[in-house]
Amino acid sequence: MARLSALIRLRFRLDLRAILRARERGLGLLLVLPGLLLFSLAASAFVFFGVRSFEGQWPEELLPLLSAAATLLGAFWALSPVLTGVALSETHDVGRLLHFPIPPATLVASSLLSNLAQPAVLAELPVVLALALAVSESWAALPLVIFGILLSFAFILASSHAVGLLLHGIARNRRFQDIALSLGLAVSFLISLLPFLLLAGGAGPLLRVVHLLGATDAFAASPFAWGVRAAVHAGRGELVSFVAFGAAGAVAILAVVAGSALLTQRIYRGELSLSPPMDPARSRARMVFRGGLGALLEKDLRLAWREPALKAMLFMGLLGPLVFLVILSQTSGLGRSGGGLLLLATFTGASSIGANVFGLERRGIGSLLGFPVARWRVLVAKNLSLAILRLPGLLALGLVGSFLAPLHYLPAAGTLALVTLLIALAADNYLSILFPTPVPGAGQNPHGGAAAGVRGLGGALLGAGLFAATLLVASPFAFLAWLPLLLGVPGLWWASLPLALAGATAVYAMLVAGAASLMSRREPEMIERILGEW
Amino acid sequence: MSDSQGASGQAPADAIVVRGLSKRFRDKAAVDDISFRVQRGRFFGFLGPNGAGKSTTIKMLTGLLRPTAGGAEIEGLSLARDLLAIKGLIGVLPEDLPLYERLTGEEYLHFAGRMYGLSPQETRQRSDELLEFLSLADDRGKLIVDYSQGMKKKTALAAALIHNPRVLFLDEPLNGIDPISGRVVMDLLLRLAQKGVTLFFTSHVLDVVERLCDEVAVIHHGRIVAQGTLEQIRAHREVAEDASLEDVFLKLVAADVKRDDLSWLA
Repeated sequence: MARLSALIRLRFRLDLRAILRARERGLGLLLVLPGLLLFSLAASAFVFFGVRSFEGQWPEELLPLLSAAATLLGAFWALSPVLTGVALSETHDVGRLLHFPIPPATLVASSLLSNLAQPAVLAELPVVLALALAVSESWAALPLVIFGILLSFAFILASSHAVGLLLHGIARNRRFQDIALSLGLAVSFLISLLPFLLLAGGAGPLLRVVHLLGATDAFAASPFAWGVRAAVHAGRGELVSFVAFGAAGAVAILAVVAGSALLTQRIYRGELSLSPPMDPARSRARMVFRGGLGALLEKDLRLAWREPALKAMLFMGLLGPLVFLVILSQTSGLGRSGGGLLLLATFTGASSIGANVFGLERRGIGSLLGFPVARWRVLVAKNLSLAILRLPGLLALGLVGSFLAPLHYLPAAGTLALVTLLIALAADNYLSILFPTPVPGAGQNPHGGAAAGVRGLGGALLGAGLFAATLLVASPFAFLAWLPLLLGVPGLWWASLPLALAGATAVYAMLVAGAASLMSRREPEMIERILGEW
Repeated sequence: MSDSQGASGQAPADAIVVRGLSKRFRDKAAVDDISFRVQRGRFFGFLGPNGAGKSTTIKMLTGLLRPTAGGAEIEGLSLARDLLAIKGLIGVLPEDLPLYERLTGEEYLHFAGRMYGLSPQETRQRSDELLEFLSLADDRGKLIVDYSQGMKKKTALAAALIHNPRVLFLDEPLNGIDPISGRVVMDLLLRLAQKGVTLFFTSHVLDVVERLCDEVAVIHHGRIVAQGTLEQIRAHREVAEDASLEDVFLKLVAADVKRDDLSWLA
């Protein structure tokens, strides 16, 4: 017990210190808390009235629906380190504690108990209470209902912890971890598309899904749902079912905690061998592009292809405009008139603000800035690689456009996207230099060490300012691209589009020259901020 | 001589000149008003206990950290004004090995060669030789993230050498390297010194420093407490003529170390 309380105190002290030692982080927390509270209250109201209304209309389908919801929520929460590339709830860094004579079960329990006080967990408690009030038919049953829902919640947290530990074991092999993260990010992206697809299809498919769930009750076997099912039975006064599901839920929690303790032990002893064989030696290296600029560009492209999170960004850029296709196809006027496409092109280009190209270098920044290569080359290479990574998205946008708008809008849309992209990339250099944000490695806690949003507020304000400035600076060139449409003389494009591109390129060159000069003065500060520990 | 861009005019006698260099982190002076000179072609050992300011000094001299006060010249070029030119003349092996871990060892060397302005043919030839010389050839195609710590250190050293620098800054170059590779690296460093390359070297392995270095400076609590050849320091500090560098070092920096026994061992 002494070890358990010492571990929990250690975790709270570290969390508190992380906030107190960085004023910006404390300020960020203060800004986030009201939002989190509002979200929590809104979600609670939605859950309370939603469940009450659903039970009134389809009382038999409430259990299957809540079981499915608990399972989906639990699966997302537990798989968060895989699905989002970072852990939603921080756990103790097991690697630092395993050499102490702490029983693995104590280690696991301390992590679980510490997680209960995390803001993301606390924000769920009003939702838990709202759900309990919604499903409880009498005040007397309320304690049992709350107990049941908390069982599900505890199982979700315990599962999240077990997945974190499993990833810790997988992380011993870099290739396996890359594959796991790539797959997870792909699944995550597909899940994020589901609401769009459901919205595009209207209420019909959604109701069919609900009725199918009701008919099959497929999630009754999910341990995530057992606690919630126990709560619903308690609310209806069905004590035998409450005891059965409650006991099953408690056993499931104990099983997961025991599994986590076993995983901890096996990781410590190096027995968790999930490793495929090491890489065979690859073929000889060959740099394809010429010159210093080419080498910088090639380095960035190779790194992007080999880093799961960056590779995922590439594919999301490709698929993103297809989502817009679904949305725009639902809006008859704007999309099909071509105006929507031009707006989409403008914002696709301008959305390069916030690329944080130097923060993404992580430890490599010390190497990059140690080379005697002209800084404008570094900036241009960074911009080029980012533009190349966004190219699939722009091509997909063209594809979308060809379905949506009259074909003669495509040259203007392409030019607008390029013009805003050029100016946004140049402007973003200033943000990347002045406010580089350290990026955590894949699967790492985003709030740990130097990775926390230090001076994030200044960066966010500058980013918003640069976005507005980009639109402002790009507007004359956008107007040139738009002019033939306004005048109804498509032939004018032969003159106006090259002129718009030339003008944007000139602005780009001027902005990059200024950014290179700024960078040469700010290099030590950039390195200090990205590496953090100096 | 370096293949990279260099200082114009006659080469100065001193490769490194440091004047009143200081670095403060909030209230703490990590480096406090240090001054010293290193002649060209010297093997210069920079010693000190943990946290004394060695790595901070190297980071300032290589342009990775801005001094709070003071300045320095490398090969006659001002650190404040000619940083980019200086980066072409020096090679750096930092303690924290800032490598691109998702490149292979060979790709990283090719990248480094191109960044130093070498032609593709030169880069390929030199990286082949360096990979062979440092016993990395068999692992040239593996990603650096899959390398051991020693292999990473050798890769960073190869990248620091690929452009044949005039001045080499080496922060703990032998840490984590096996004894065979350690010997190879030491022999290489001695050859470089004989060829006129200036080496600025930090290490905790004092017998290696004693064997390799022509001159040493000892930094303690951010201040230089001794500088010169070992003989000069011995004479100045009044230690026995046959005293080792370790004896001298302990006399210089360990005076304030408490030696009370642990109570539970009594």
